[in-house]
Amino acid sequence: MLPTTLNESQIWEALKEVEDPEMPISLVDMGMVFDVSVEGANTKIQLGLTATACPAIDFIFYDIRERLKKEGCEDIEIELVWDPPWTKERISEEGRFILSTWGLSV
Amino acid sequence: MATLSDEALKQKIEKGHLIETTEEMTEGYKKALIQILLVQADTELMSAPSYYMAARSAPSMNTRLSAYAVIQDELGHAHITYQLLEDLGMDKEYLIYGRKPHEFKNPYGFDQPLETWVELVVANAYFDRAGITLLGDPFENTSYGPWKRSLVKIDKEELFHLRHGEVWMKRLCEAGGQAKEEIQRAADWMFPMGVEWFGMPDHLKRHTAQLEYKLKGKTNDELRQIWLSAVVPLSESCGIHVPAHFDEAQQEYVLDYEFPVDYDPSQKRWKFDSPVSWDQVFERWKKRGPYNEIYVKSIQKHYKDFMAMLNGGN
Repeated sequence: MLPTTLNESQIWEALKEVEDPEMPISLVDMGMVFDVSVEGANTKIQLGLTATACPAIDFIFYDIRERLKKEGCEDIEIELVWDPPWTKERISEEGRFILSTWGLSV
Repeated sequence: MATLSDEALKQKIEKGHLIETTEEMTEGYKKALIQILLVQADTELMSAPSYYMAARSAPSMNTRLSAYAVIQDELGHAHITYQLLEDLGMDKEYLIYGRKPHEFKNPYGFDQPLETWVELVVANAYFDRAGITLLGDPFENTSYGPWKRSLVKIDKEELFHLRHGEVWMKRLCEAGGQAKEEIQRAADWMFPMGVEWFGMPDHLKRHTAQLEYKLKGKTNDELRQIWLSAVVPLSESCGIHVPAHFDEAQQEYVLDYEFPVDYDPSQKRWKFDSPVSWDQVFERWKKRGPYNEIYVKSIQKHYKDFMAMLNGGN
């Protein structure tokens, strides 16, 4: 197995390039990434969804894995977080601006 | 009705005026508007049973959720568009539950059975791309205000359907083997279906009421080019062959077959060596595809019985 070449802040940077499948905003700006931890070759991501029956869950997992694989991460664990729940307060300032120009107010 | 003449109305529209109420319309404008909205409403509605048939073969719970979300969106879009028709004096209930299957105006593509997950995702990539192309045009150009505003939500949601199709097409093609072969087989019948979706070429039919009243802004061939410029590169990037290519000299996409051609719906096969006339295409469309009745009945079947039961059954 390839060792992970990224540290935690680099993983956050990479995840900033993974877009929400329904809106032109990254998962990070959307506030969906709750935590990132790297231990040896293992990368663990804690992810909160905006809805319990999120129709895009399969895409989000796929997109995260594809993005991190490009950086050489092989052992990727994605854990869903329901407590605390995702709320719109988690959306970043930049995210709010993007959504408002796209026609959504939050 | 309007006090303006047709000519005066067209001039007003030409200056960028948006029509908001039936009082401002001429008979001609209203008729053309109803016609184009009915095609949209029926297309949104009939995509639902068609996608549902395929979505039942979703490979997992999460993929099923995605597919059902797409179907729910489509029903929502149908609802919005039938409401626009009701505002123009049509009866929504009759339009959905009262008409005969052959009276629905959806394209021939949604009279076809979608039988597998693979066919669903290719439909999302090709047919929803046709939808976005056809609805992105009035969103930018239409002279009817209520329609333009209704398309804000619709066009955004269609983007998810498109992404659903394109991402799955790529994933399945990257897997190779049987997955890619199935995508190719679906593309073989669905790509020419999409080409035909945009109707007669401009040299046979250029001036239509829809363009003159600026209900839409682009001609059939212009819209077909936009669709081809998205679908051909997507297919090629997946290693899927489609019978069209970009012609450097003409600076546009051209088809590698004589258009239009005959189609055998029982085999889901285009007969590329059998060119036909547009009259023959219209005849095939009028005869309807094999699932027209099945889809319409699936929507209408329980309505009357249920309403009777709900209203007391006494």
